[in-house]
Amino acid sequence: MTTIEASHKDICELIGKKVTIEELKELALYAKGEVDEVNGDLLKIEIKDSNRPDLWSAEGIAREIRGRLNPSGCPKYKVRDSGMVINVDKKNKNVRPYTVCAVVKNLRITPDVLSQIIQLQEKIHSTFASNRKELAMGIYDFDRIKPPIKFTTVKPDGIKFTPLEFEEEMTPKEILEKHPKGKEFAHLLAGCREYPIFIDSRGEVLSIPPIINSNYSGKITEQTKNAFIECSGFNFKFLIPALNVVVAALADRGAEIETVKVVYPDKTIITPDLTPKKSWVDADYVRKCIGIKIGDKEICDLLRQANYNVKLKGKGVELEYPAYRQDVMHQRDIVEDIIISYGYNKIEPEPPKIKTVGRLDKMQIFSDKVAGAMVKLGFQQILSYNLTSKENLFEKMNLKEEKIVEIENYVSLNWNVFRTWLLPSVMEFYSNNQHVKFPQRVFEIGDVILIDEKQETKTRDVRKLAVAISDSEVAYDDIGSVLDAFLVALSVKYKLKKCKHASFIEGRVAEIVVKNKSIGFIGEIHPSVLENWKLEMPVAAFEIDVESLK
Amino acid sequence: MAEYKLTDEGKKYLKQGLPEENLANLLRKGPIGFGEAKNKIENFAIAMQWVKKKGWVEVRDGKLSLVKYPEQIEEEEALKKIAAGKQADENVLKILMERNLVEKITETYKKTESELKKKGNTIGKLTHDIIATGLWRGKKFEAVNVRRPAKKIVVKQLGVGNRQPYEEFLMDVRKKLVKMGFIEMTGPTIELEFWNFDALFQPQHHPARTWSQTYALKYPKFGTLPSKKIVDGVKESHENGWKYKWDPRTAMKLMPRAHTTCLSARTLAGKHDIPEKYFALSSCFRPDVIDATHGIEFSQVEGIVVGDVNFKNLLGVLKELAKEIAGAEKVKFLPDYFPFTEPSAQISAKHPEMGWMEFGGSGVFREEWTHAIGVKEPVLAWGMGIDRLAMFKLNLSDIRELFSRNLEWLRARR
Repeated sequence: MTTIEASHKDICELIGKKVTIEELKELALYAKGEVDEVNGDLLKIEIKDSNRPDLWSAEGIAREIRGRLNPSGCPKYKVRDSGMVINVDKKNKNVRPYTVCAVVKNLRITPDVLSQIIQLQEKIHSTFASNRKELAMGIYDFDRIKPPIKFTTVKPDGIKFTPLEFEEEMTPKEILEKHPKGKEFAHLLAGCREYPIFIDSRGEVLSIPPIINSNYSGKITEQTKNAFIECSGFNFKFLIPALNVVVAALADRGAEIETVKVVYPDKTIITPDLTPKKSWVDADYVRKCIGIKIGDKEICDLLRQANYNVKLKGKGVELEYPAYRQDVMHQRDIVEDIIISYGYNKIEPEPPKIKTVGRLDKMQIFSDKVAGAMVKLGFQQILSYNLTSKENLFEKMNLKEEKIVEIENYVSLNWNVFRTWLLPSVMEFYSNNQHVKFPQRVFEIGDVILIDEKQETKTRDVRKLAVAISDSEVAYDDIGSVLDAFLVALSVKYKLKKCKHASFIEGRVAEIVVKNKSIGFIGEIHPSVLENWKLEMPVAAFEIDVESLK
Repeated sequence: MAEYKLTDEGKKYLKQGLPEENLANLLRKGPIGFGEAKNKIENFAIAMQWVKKKGWVEVRDGKLSLVKYPEQIEEEEALKKIAAGKQADENVLKILMERNLVEKITETYKKTESELKKKGNTIGKLTHDIIATGLWRGKKFEAVNVRRPAKKIVVKQLGVGNRQPYEEFLMDVRKKLVKMGFIEMTGPTIELEFWNFDALFQPQHHPARTWSQTYALKYPKFGTLPSKKIVDGVKESHENGWKYKWDPRTAMKLMPRAHTTCLSARTLAGKHDIPEKYFALSSCFRPDVIDATHGIEFSQVEGIVVGDVNFKNLLGVLKELAKEIAGAEKVKFLPDYFPFTEPSAQISAKHPEMGWMEFGGSGVFREEWTHAIGVKEPVLAWGMGIDRLAMFKLNLSDIRELFSRNLEWLRARR
């Protein structure tokens, strides 16, 4: 999901037709977009597809709408040779091996164009490239560059240039330490002895990817006439679509695209390549997937609306689709485009003709029965979060810390471990209700998570029941009689066995034994534990393994 | 009988010295830096407040130096007297009360103390008074016969209990799904990334797999992968589809489940009937900033239909669900995106009172991964967060209230 801002007027101009906001709300669905906010002319549009960077701009949205209003198949992009060359040093191999580039001429950069292009680049960086991890893109003023360009590496203090939005010259090392973008992205160059650099034939620095462009050439403004664009990274699978998406958007604005020759030590490639990609879809498969009766011809029409070139052949359709799309991996992706053209709401929903007998999980049924028994005994059910803190589980309960499931990137230390028993949740509940009428009889049924090396997840969910009474006077017998009534109601035979437990008063705590197996404990909570929870009323409680009662 | 006694803090200071006294003693050896003093003196802020007030210490250029060393500290003398049950100077006593080092002995304290004395300073029944006065400290507790059969309770005396309303709501949703023919699925809370992501065709470099989107565990870190056949199938689907080298180590990482789709994946990879319908309703965990709309954990409900089914059927299931669960007669479908479904659809439902709402996400599971785990038939899937609906039903404006800590509110919901 990516949210972009765009001007209503600008989108209309790109579509080539004036549409109202209400109409646009419907049309945006063709680009998997939902108009979230309207602020005068400014729209906030949520694009659902996080795998379609081609949709993350006014140009991309308009392109999808244009196709549906005025189907003309796969958009054609004319590409000329710029004659420009980029030489990639073999030193880049271990630092930042690949780049793909383009030249875009005769730009007419209005404020709308500028904001769209910057936003698109930013969204590609943050979402498609996982915060520049997979790729970084630079857009430069072509007229300030003197080709050929060298893509090489440099020592951290081996050169000085003025980074974007700065006035003083800095070494790459200083940029990583002082420039806001340098600090933000320094981790992406961690461990590199030399940093990647684009540099022109006069020795003028273009950029240090993925960190920052130079202030001299690495900036486009409304005055920029011609632009040079590069995308660098580790995998062509990211670089090529990102470059194609941006140049296609600029071409939609009337600019001319030119290729660049990228010379690697072992090969030479010409980029961008906007030749449509080829695919094929089986017409019967389409009908089977969607479940509607449509003819081959209609399938072709719907595909043309989705910017595909189509040609019926045998039992299917031969397809050509735009080079900026990298999301078409399977016939299913094509099926979805057909449905979008057809209209989701034109399909009559039809429940599957499958007769099945539903059922609850056995543990759920049993838990429900247990809860019912406790309610009958006059107890209030409570529900607590599973996540808690070690302090709650151990320290406040007078217990020694044990190895338990612990979150690494926790949001708060109050919620960084999974509970191993329920009573701390109950105590915490009591601490919030000291002013409420006593007696307070409560219970909780829920899962705790225990370490279990034998399991594939090294953990085990265990369903527990905790029951507690708090009043101005509460004794062992009070909770003992509840346990007895509860287990009698479930027809479970049990024994109590003396034991020690640091959360309870010594001599007033016992193990609950069923079929010679200890399944829980019962007793009076120690006053020091009560004090830890800031409780002034005594508490007697038991906690029991629900599974063992079945 | 004495009228005053030391508080816990008072007792501590009597034993360890008052904070200002400790600071003065530290400075006797010569001036030291502010930071160093702060590290060495417990309750440093209190100490500073009093040494300044009493004019013992002076602060210059971040250094503390002693101006006057107190030979005798009247607060300390008074604490000693009160501890011994003697009368202390009125003015000092007032200061000690303000500093919460001394408190008046209450009637309850006296009564509880004398009752305990009568019993030879052993505690029988633990009471509110014994806890509140702190008189249990240092006393013996009488042991009880923990093995003795408990007396029978008269249920009527206890009054009526109550189910937790959110829990009850969730059970209702479950029952509605059962009525629609869905079988409940369950699975571990701590999940392998393999089932949470990899099996679902979510590439290992996918942004949703980063720390800002999902929790990672500090302990335990790695689990074990399922059978080689399934692992190889998933590896192949990633390497052919997403074109990268799939790393089994990443798939072995453990995490709290971030959505219920891992349960569908486990069900489909295991023994199951065809055709069949399954559902799961479970807590899920994501590192959101906690506020009125984001809880520590959230409930998600998800369902799958496996068999000879198509997109039209998916819309049919969604429409039925919106009616059953939200009471919505009108629904709207919109395109959507999930890495593990294609085609995908979002459903908007018109709740009779809440109006149009985003009801859930859905789609047909991608063939790349359902084939990889051995399922040849199409699988329809839908999922939704139901906490907003629960909040509406229970008339709550803060999502955290679903796990209410308010006993009065819970009791009132009969």
